[in-house]
Amino acid sequence: MSVVAFERKQDSGEWSEKELSTLVAALGAVSRAGREWETGMTEKGDAQFYLLGPLPDQACELCVSRIGGRYILEDGSGRLLFEHRNLERVALHAKAAVSSTSWLMVRAITLWCAIRNTIYEKVEPLLVEGEELFVEFVPQLAAFA
Amino acid sequence: MKRERHQDVFTERLPAKAAQDAKQLRKLAGDWLKLRRADAELSQADLAARLGLKYYTFISQVENGFSRVPIEIMGAWARELGLEQAAFARHLLMYYEPELHRLLFGAESK
Repeated sequence: MSVVAFERKQDSGEWSEKELSTLVAALGAVSRAGREWETGMTEKGDAQFYLLGPLPDQACELCVSRIGGRYILEDGSGRLLFEHRNLERVALHAKAAVSSTSWLMVRAITLWCAIRNTIYEKVEPLLVEGEELFVEFVPQLAAFA
Repeated sequence: MKRERHQDVFTERLPAKAAQDAKQLRKLAGDWLKLRRADAELSQADLAARLGLKYYTFISQVENGFSRVPIEIMGAWARELGLEQAAFARHLLMYYEPELHRLLFGAESK
């Protein structure tokens, strides 16, 4: 009789190499822009994986924790995003969460550029025009007064 | 020995070297929160339960210096640690927004 050796799932303690590579593989592709990750532990010794935001703040954007063989995905404000016993599924949700954050960031930057461009093109000439009118009219008004 | 609450828990000052580093300041805030939780004789799980959080992982996230105490639960966090809410918020501001803290309260850390 042959016995198939199943890999024992870790319930507590530090991340295994396999778990870390699963998380890094899922998040590495979407978090290239100078973002780093770190690991830590809860006081009960549960492993935590923190995906950090860009410098200089480097605040946690996503956190994956393993509690009793269950993986918990939270954002940096403690909102519970997803939980499951399968790390691959949790990593997929983490990837989607990071992608949507990046997408929002891109939209925000695009919007900001558009507003700045509009101000530069439309509002600034009006201000300059107003200033010219003001400079022209003030001496005349002063002469009348 | 358990520390007397409301007395010297807010007197800690920031090391000058750490003043610019947000990550390091969050870590200092986390260490301070961990001490205050120990004073209150609560585990991370106890505090999470009292704050209505399903898991204690966020408490760990904050105490390890990776996140801030969210403003919306700052009052409850202070209450559960047995601390005065305004002093708690002011003290955390010293770590999270040191320049704003300096503008509002000057050199005093309390």
